[in-house]
Amino acid sequence: FNLIMGKEECKTMLDALNKVTACYRHLVIALGSTSDSQNLREELKKTRKKAQELAVANRTKLTSLLKDKTISKEDRAEYERLWVLFSSCMELLEVDMKRSLEIAQDFPLKVPTRHLIQTGMTGSTTTVAARAMSVQNMKYEADSNIDTADLRDLQAEITQVSQMMEEMEMKVQVAPWAVEAKQEAGAELKSNMSVGNSSVGVISICEEEPKEEEGGGGSREAGFASICAVIGFFVIVIVALVLGYLVVNM
Amino acid sequence: MTIRNVLRDHGQRYRPRMACLKKAEKVVLEMQDPATGVKLQPQRLVITTIPHAITGEDIVAWLADRFQIDAQEARSFGSMLVALGYIYPIQDHKRLVVKPDASLYRFQTPYFWPTQQWPVEDTDYAIYLAKRNIRKKGILELHEQEQYNRLHKWMNHKWDFIVMQAKEQYRAAKERKKPDRVVFDCQERAYWVVHRPPPGTVSAMDYGLERLIDPNAHEAKTPDDYERIMIFTQQSIMRPRVKSSVSIGALVKYCATYKGHDPFLSKCLPSNPWLTDDVTYWALNMPNVEIPTKMRVERWTFSFGELLSDPRGRDDFRLFLKKEFSGENLAFWEGCEDLKWGTAATMKEKAEQIYKTFLARGAPRWINIDGKTMEITVKGLKHPHRYVLDAAQTHIYMLMKKDSYGRYLKSPVFKETMKKAVCPEEHKFSDSQLEQNARNRRPSLSPIIIRQQEQEQKAKMAASAPVDITQVMSKLSKQGKEAPPRRTSVKND
Repeated sequence: FNLIMGKEECKTMLDALNKVTACYRHLVIALGSTSDSQNLREELKKTRKKAQELAVANRTKLTSLLKDKTISKEDRAEYERLWVLFSSCMELLEVDMKRSLEIAQDFPLKVPTRHLIQTGMTGSTTTVAARAMSVQNMKYEADSNIDTADLRDLQAEITQVSQMMEEMEMKVQVAPWAVEAKQEAGAELKSNMSVGNSSVGVISICEEEPKEEEGGGGSREAGFASICAVIGFFVIVIVALVLGYLVVNM
Repeated sequence: MTIRNVLRDHGQRYRPRMACLKKAEKVVLEMQDPATGVKLQPQRLVITTIPHAITGEDIVAWLADRFQIDAQEARSFGSMLVALGYIYPIQDHKRLVVKPDASLYRFQTPYFWPTQQWPVEDTDYAIYLAKRNIRKKGILELHEQEQYNRLHKWMNHKWDFIVMQAKEQYRAAKERKKPDRVVFDCQERAYWVVHRPPPGTVSAMDYGLERLIDPNAHEAKTPDDYERIMIFTQQSIMRPRVKSSVSIGALVKYCATYKGHDPFLSKCLPSNPWLTDDVTYWALNMPNVEIPTKMRVERWTFSFGELLSDPRGRDDFRLFLKKEFSGENLAFWEGCEDLKWGTAATMKEKAEQIYKTFLARGAPRWINIDGKTMEITVKGLKHPHRYVLDAAQTHIYMLMKKDSYGRYLKSPVFKETMKKAVCPEEHKFSDSQLEQNARNRRPSLSPIIIRQQEQEQKAKMAASAPVDITQVMSKLSKQGKEAPPRRTSVKND
């Protein structure tokens, strides 16, 4: 029973770490662009801290599970699979942290001669950060010089994470290439897709992509075409009604 | 910064420095200035409007103005920025060029810029393909599908992670507002067009081989380094020096001698194949051609090295030596070359063969080298290696050069060859003939076939071994011993 509980706990914690890593990547991509702001830097800091807490928790749990010599072979294989998941997550996180340090140093917010890249992204990233922190709304409390002050913390955290990963490699004897994945190719298509407003979003993004390829002019044509189709439909219905009335009266 | 930007790359492969990246970044940053940068316009889609789009003609105009270059060069420069991935086209996203018209482009976010120290990971590509799979509901493009299958096979152990991460990233992307979502998708797609180009796209990311030394690493100077510098400088001081008047004189003489023979500097008869697509020049100058060209024969008179390095010249020289019954020198020299350049497996037997044929006492083709060199060579042959016959070869080379070469140049063989040598007329092609030549281009003989022909020739020559003076003398002496009556009868007649 304990083992099953352990596995479930592990899985939930890994899911949480996975979510935070994905959100962190989205936030780092917005760095240096016109979406960048004080808030973004603070979001990055908070997400990072959360990621580190989750990482430490995951690591202690998994190492304790893997150290246990009394587990069966299938259980051990499962824990190794979870370990590979965890270390891949950590690799991604480490790269993103290092890159965020580089980009944040190259694009300080307060220097007026240093312009942000006009990428076309202008919205804020609060919702992404809220998703990472699993809260409804983000609260911003940092000082105005967070972009420079945070960098020192970031450097320290990166060293911490690198050390942790080296320890992990040294101490835990798991061969990553020996792990067999449970998901086959195309598994991402099957499971429950996101619900709520996102389904509408899916269709409209699909529409946007080919339209962009045609350019701005093409979109106007498509609009015309749809209006013409609707008008044509009504014309046909009216003609049918008129004919029917005549037939009935005959 | 004290953080080293190197992941635990146990393969120890480092990407070479791409110096152009830092320079391109500076240009892109200048373009961002709201006052002096490139003009921005909004891009209108069906429902949304996305700002910060730039037209191709604006890019070209800005670059031409900033760097004071003409439009053509500005266009190439702009295309380079697109090929590197700093700007991406919105409409024709697979063609990484700048079109100098109203087609729209946008700047790429710094995370997706190309960097020298961050390699593009296959894991990220797999996550991107999985996300695209979700978006396109399983219908990927052909090259994407192939890559997906390949990565699924090779990264199978990480596949659970890839699927999980792809789903989470997809969901996280939905949290942003609509215009930002569209921009993000375009950015990511553009990034992967640059770093995993679909067939038919040319990106600038082909940086060549990976290095074994980290170009960003700081190498501290050890005492060993300083010792090496000292040794190098001491050797440089001890090197024999030549007066510059002498060396420059030699250079001038060389240039004057070879000026007429260099196809870059003077006319190539009959015509330069690279310019006119007519291969007569190469056909006339084949290694084993019967009648050489006059220029080629002239080159043989420049130096002995030229004569020997030209296969046709060597043949001529061999013929001359055959007439003089002293072919063993050249044969020995060729055998030594064979040993030097041959495969390591055949070395021992080759060396033995050469010893038996040329160097041993009473050998059939005994060569005349001085006692000291013979001693050194015989001693070396106990443990044969590639360069064991070097001393003897040099001696024989000098002998041939000082003695036979001079006589060769005055010999009837050479005079005959020079008389027969052909001097081709210059071709005068009209434009239509040039086009026809270009259409009739054919590939030359495969190197494999040429090699086979060479080997056949060598075998033929080995079979019909020419006669040397030692053989003739020994034969004569044998004949003398065996059949004196016959000889006396001849004498009587």
